[in-house]
Amino acid sequence: MSQDDKIEVKKLNIGFGEKHVIRDLDLKIKANTVTAIMGPSGCGKSTLLRSFNRMNDVIKTCKTTGEVFVSGRNIYEPNTNVYDLRRQVGMVFQKPNPLPKSIYENIAFGPKIHKTAKGKNLDKVIEKSLRASALWDEVHDRLHDSAFDLSGGQQQRLCIARALAVDPEVILMDEPCSALDPAATAKIEQLIRMLSDDYTVVIVTHNMQQASRVSDYTVFLYLGKIIEEGDTKAIFENPQHELTEQYITGEFG
Amino acid sequence: MKRLIDAGLEQLASMLFRMGELAQKTVSLSVMNYLEGTHNPAQVKALSETLASMADPIEDTAFEIIARFQPVASDLRIVKSYMKICYDFRRYGRYALDISQIYEQIGGIGECDTSFRKILEEMAAETLNMVGTSIEALKKHDAKLAQTLSKMEQHVDKLYYDYLDKLIQTTATTGCTISSLLVVRYLERIADHATYIGESVVYLATGEKTTLR
Repeated sequence: MSQDDKIEVKKLNIGFGEKHVIRDLDLKIKANTVTAIMGPSGCGKSTLLRSFNRMNDVIKTCKTTGEVFVSGRNIYEPNTNVYDLRRQVGMVFQKPNPLPKSIYENIAFGPKIHKTAKGKNLDKVIEKSLRASALWDEVHDRLHDSAFDLSGGQQQRLCIARALAVDPEVILMDEPCSALDPAATAKIEQLIRMLSDDYTVVIVTHNMQQASRVSDYTVFLYLGKIIEEGDTKAIFENPQHELTEQYITGEFG
Repeated sequence: MKRLIDAGLEQLASMLFRMGELAQKTVSLSVMNYLEGTHNPAQVKALSETLASMADPIEDTAFEIIARFQPVASDLRIVKSYMKICYDFRRYGRYALDISQIYEQIGGIGECDTSFRKILEEMAAETLNMVGTSIEALKKHDAKLAQTLSKMEQHVDKLYYDYLDKLIQTTATTGCTISSLLVVRYLERIADHATYIGESVVYLATGEKTTLR
C-alpha cells in the first residue's frame, strides 16, 4: 500500500445470504481526494461504501471476505474495534438524520461518546466542526435550538459537522444530496471539495453531473465489479469501456 | 428508446452536414471559376455569406444541448467537435470568397506559364479532394478516413513550396504570378482546415487528440 493511498481493497467479496453483491474487487483510494462511486441501482455501490467502515456488519446475512486497509490497517482483522473504526471513517447518509437534540448536542454527541473532548474544548470542537461544514455563520447564535428547526440542506451539513467532530480521516457519503434542492446541493458540493483538503472523501451518487463536478477520481461499478476507474475528466470525456460510455450517456441504468 | 439528447444531436448534425455540403460547393465553385476563368463573384459571395449566417444557429443549438442535457463522453466530444468544425466550414467559405475577390481584382491564371498552371491545378484538385474527404469523414464519423487527410495535406504543402520555389526563380512579376501566389496560399489554408476537421473527427470518434498536419 503506497503512502498516498488512504484505502486499499483486496479481493473483496460481499454477499447477503445467497446474493453475491461485491465480486473479487480490488481498489485503491488516494488520500485527500474525492472519489465518486457510480453505477446502476443494485450494482453494489452502497455495499462497497459501507464496507469501508464495516457498516455491513449490522446486517446478519452479510458475509464478507477479502481485505480492506484503512491507513495501512486491515479493518477486517478480528481485533478491530469497529467503534473506533467508525470514528476514523465517518458516514453521511442519503437523508439528513439529525438526532432529536439541539444543534450543539448533535455535534457534541460523538466527542462525548468517544471521550475526546469536554468543557471548553468541546465548545471549540463544536465551532471548528460547524465552520468546517460551512454552517457556523448560519447557526452560531442559535446553537441550542432544535436541529429539526434547520432546513434540509442545513441538516445535512449538520450531519457532516457531526462526522467531523470526532476527527475522522475518511468521510463516506451515500447519495448525500438526493433529498436536497439545487441550492442546498450546490452548498454540499462546495463543501465536499473543501473537505478534501483535510479528509479523504468517498461519495456514492446516482447523479452523473454531481460525480463529474465534485470528484477527482471515478469508479464505475456494474454487477459488483469495477468496470472502469480513472481520473474523473478522463472517465467523463473519453471512457474506455463501452459499458461506462453507455451508462454515463444514459443508454442504460 | 431514444434518449432526449438524441433529438438535439441529430438536429445539430443535420445543420452541420448541410453547412458542410454548402461549404464544399462554395470552395469548389470558387476554385473552378478561378481555374477556368468563368468568374461568378456574386454567387460565391452569396454562398459565403450564407455559410457565415449558418454558424450562429449551430453554435446556439450546441449551447442548448450543453445547457439542457449536460453531455458527457462521446456526446460531449461530438458537441465540442461540431462547434470547432462549424468554424472550419466558415473558414472554407471565407477563403473561397478571398479567391473569388483575387480574381476580380487581379485576374486569373490565363496568362500564366504552363508549369505554374500545372502545379496550381494539381494543388487545387488535391485541396478539393481534401474538402470532400473531410466532409465525408465527418458524416460517417470515420476516424480512418479522416486520418488519410494527413498524407493529402503533406502533398498540398509540397506543391505549395514547389510553387514558391518556382516563383522565386522567375524574374517577371505579372498579374498572374501575384494572383496565383495568393490563391495557392488560400488553398494551403483550406487544406489546413480540412486537417483540423479530420482531427476533430478522430477526436469525436475515438477520444484521441491527434495532429494530422
